[in-house]
Amino acid sequence: MGATELSRLSRRDFLKNGLVFGAGAAGLSAGYAAVPDVFARAVYGGKRDGVMNDRVLVMIQLAGGADGLQTVIPLQDPKLRDLRPQLSRAAETALPLTPQFGLDRTMRGIKTLYDEGKVAIVHGVGYPNPNYSHFDSIRIWETGDPLRRQQDGWLGKTIAANYDSAGHPLVGCACGSSEIPGALRDLDATLSVINGQNTFRFNGSDAERAMGVIYNGTPGIYGALFDTSVFSARDTMARLRLAREKYTPRAAYNDNVNLVYSSRNQLASALQLAAQLIISGVGAKILHVTLGGFDTHDQQMARHDSLMGYVDGAISAFHADLAAYGMSDRVLIATWSEFGRRAAETANGGTDHGAAAPMFLIGDTVKGGFYGEAPSLSALDRGGSLKYTVDFRQVYQEILESHLQVDAQEVLGKAFERIPAVRTA
Amino acid sequence: MGAHGKKAAPAGPTRRKVLVTALAAGAGVAGARILGLRNLDASDALSSAVDAMDMSMATGMADAMDDYDAMFGVPDDSFFGAQDLDPSVLPQPKPATLPPVSIRPALALEPPISGIAAPKLAGNVDWISPLAKESAKVTHLLRRAAFGATDAELDRALSEGFARTVDRLIESPLVEPPVFPAPAAPRPSASPGVSPRASASASAKPSPTAAPSMGAVAPSASPSAPAVMTNTTSINIGNLQSWWLDWMTKSPTPFAERMTLFWHGHFTSDYRKVGTNSPAIYWQNLTWRRMALGDLKSMLQRVTPDLAMLRYLDLAASTGRAPNENYARELLELFTMGVGSYTEDDVKAAAKALAGWRLPTRTESTAQTGIFDPRRAYAGAVTFLGKTGTFNTESVIDTVLANDATAPFIVRDLVTSFVTPIPSDAYIARLADRFRRTRYDTKTLMRDIFTSPEFVAPETFRSLIKSPTDFMVSAAKALGATNLSGTIRQYGSTLGQNMFDPPSVAGWGDGASWISSNTMLQRANFVTAALGTLRTAPSAARAHERHLDSVLAQGTVNELNLARDDKSRWFAVFASPEFQLK
Repeated sequence: MGATELSRLSRRDFLKNGLVFGAGAAGLSAGYAAVPDVFARAVYGGKRDGVMNDRVLVMIQLAGGADGLQTVIPLQDPKLRDLRPQLSRAAETALPLTPQFGLDRTMRGIKTLYDEGKVAIVHGVGYPNPNYSHFDSIRIWETGDPLRRQQDGWLGKTIAANYDSAGHPLVGCACGSSEIPGALRDLDATLSVINGQNTFRFNGSDAERAMGVIYNGTPGIYGALFDTSVFSARDTMARLRLAREKYTPRAAYNDNVNLVYSSRNQLASALQLAAQLIISGVGAKILHVTLGGFDTHDQQMARHDSLMGYVDGAISAFHADLAAYGMSDRVLIATWSEFGRRAAETANGGTDHGAAAPMFLIGDTVKGGFYGEAPSLSALDRGGSLKYTVDFRQVYQEILESHLQVDAQEVLGKAFERIPAVRTA
Repeated sequence: MGAHGKKAAPAGPTRRKVLVTALAAGAGVAGARILGLRNLDASDALSSAVDAMDMSMATGMADAMDDYDAMFGVPDDSFFGAQDLDPSVLPQPKPATLPPVSIRPALALEPPISGIAAPKLAGNVDWISPLAKESAKVTHLLRRAAFGATDAELDRALSEGFARTVDRLIESPLVEPPVFPAPAAPRPSASPGVSPRASASASAKPSPTAAPSMGAVAPSASPSAPAVMTNTTSINIGNLQSWWLDWMTKSPTPFAERMTLFWHGHFTSDYRKVGTNSPAIYWQNLTWRRMALGDLKSMLQRVTPDLAMLRYLDLAASTGRAPNENYARELLELFTMGVGSYTEDDVKAAAKALAGWRLPTRTESTAQTGIFDPRRAYAGAVTFLGKTGTFNTESVIDTVLANDATAPFIVRDLVTSFVTPIPSDAYIARLADRFRRTRYDTKTLMRDIFTSPEFVAPETFRSLIKSPTDFMVSAAKALGATNLSGTIRQYGSTLGQNMFDPPSVAGWGDGASWISSNTMLQRANFVTAALGTLRTAPSAARAHERHLDSVLAQGTVNELNLARDDKSRWFAVFASPEFQLK
């Protein structure tokens, strides 16, 4: 086999066929010391000609089911007050974008970006027959399959199909996490998971060498997973060393936020890590960060406010940092959550699991404004949730085709009507 | 040692295949022995195994495998240990204090790795199961049921044998952890911002843990007289985490701790939502421990009004007039039946039927569970799981327990935690049937699990990945280190498993989800940190026998033989893939 053929062998091939890894290993290890700049050379050898650009995607997961009606607030619909006697007060303090809709009062940074034409808001994103289980619905969004027959994540599939991730573990990276999010998971994609940029290193003078000796040909069904994880850790570390030299933040990231309660305060530092990976040119293409805490069954007013304020601050700093380095025209930020929340509030000022909710697309390449049709508060579904008007895969389609410029059908299984919110490179 | 290879390999096709490969690759000098490696080649077994892995990696649980036995259609290779080796194949001489690990890998040795080269993946090579041997069954059991073993525990279990160890683990009366100390009563002038409520109730009952205090208590325990703990006593969550981790490494009844951790991940709650202005999450831990091997009905009846659970899943905020679905949904989806066995209407009905519980008020500060207030309950009839009528908490639970989905759901959760990530449907059905017929007796179920042939089947060997807690506690026990709870707590956060802080209401993931570039790095860093706390490490000469069953991968053997001292060798043992597995 020639080198070209070998370079296409994937982790799945190794698992299926018991092939010996090491294909192109000499090339990789010789090459890693001088990582090519992603923006000069795009991502290392795309698998096909003509699909590469210098764009980067950052997906922000708002985990727990983020409420749409307290994020993009209907300002003139009297029905809101009927459904939400307490929570509808958010309309009084909203930041108006149009006569009909305003952002939650805490979202000043995103309001500014909206005024600059850099924020697209897609109304009513969901899917048919909404699933109210966090875990099922997360999996649906992660795999891009409401029928839940797919195993691989849509971002993982995108990486596997388009980018030569073998030996370039930062092509897909979960920042601020200790495990691979389902959206990135794909056996054919080598991925990195970096919990914190300052802690991603081996302590102990000899540990890195020893781990390299130990994790080499590990038997068993998890063997390839172990070996590639350790290899990826060592490889990533070498790249992070380079990245640190090239980057100092040029915006104020702040995780010191007093949330009413949330899972973990790490969004800002996770986005700062994302900025470091993008700016230093280590080959990052698709990044994923998560903020939890949106499952606001009670005290939603204060909880959602504090969470959205935190999201707003983190995204604003991230965008400003990228802009200061002249890279904001390459990066698209997109938010997603497994579902919105029920239209009516509960007695204790919260909301139960719902269905459709808006999605944000943020970046210099975005054509700002509203897309899709806002679901009617007067025509709820049988369970009392907003009916979706835009299939979430339409937004995925736009991200894949217009932003990353890759074949969306290969990832999503079929073509969806696009939401024309992103300018092509 | 010194058998000079007379116990030659029983020539099975799989073994021969590896041997030939190894020789062809120029590995063997004096005949490459295949040790700790099993070849799964040359059968359809491989592709099914890989398919199963695809599924389990993608979903965390491969539940569609119908034919488990066919998956590993490989004869059980007998086990090779150090005694089987021809001394002429041993590696270069090593310092006298550290006898070389006398096991040779099957495949060609690579030149020393320099720089960062990609690993050679083993492909279709599996571990050789040693589970035909009694001693290996014992260590296998301890890994899965007891967070591994200290030297003393291991010696005792080996001398007792597998069956008696199962008996002892399951039947030993629970030894409770030391009482988690309430903070000292705040002096009125000390901190004006702190409410004196914690000490206000003079009539408070003593703390529920009546067991005598043993072992270390949390570091911040005040030397002054502790206040009596009421349901408004604040707790320090870091101290509470250390308190439990410390007890995991020291408890004389470690199976109880393992089961408590299981239930903590199953009937889960997190301190972030529950809050630390009450000992609710601590009391939940005590309750789960005491009920861990009881019957499921009693447990569910206690789970529902548990103070932490009432807060965590909002049942305390639910009323018949405005039902909150959170607890009802997770009761069905995650606690008992699983998605697909009920409808959205059942969730709504259960939410109404379960409404009525509330948290204690200030004047009820000694109450350790929620209080049922009929005025908050739903008055009318509902249709729940096909039955129409008026329901209360008990009849909801009875209806759930009468449903065919419940026993298999609970059994599958336990089996995938204790036996195999890919159980056959027949195995689940067999255990579930008994579970239901014993009126959901968890102790009987756990005995059935440990004594089932599946538990010690060759394919279960190293089929589970240790959770971070399991990994770290078992390392502490192997070292006999009793002061590592702080280190374990610190690394639990990095590795994705903080006690009382699961990532979601589904508890912690398992299996492949524990392994990523980040976690492998931090597992190694934990080992470095743990060994760094020891002035001198215990002898590691036999660590690979006692803690890795002498079934070693080539890479582990190589590093063990490179290790210059005990700490380096312990590092190789704990950082090895063998030790990440159970």
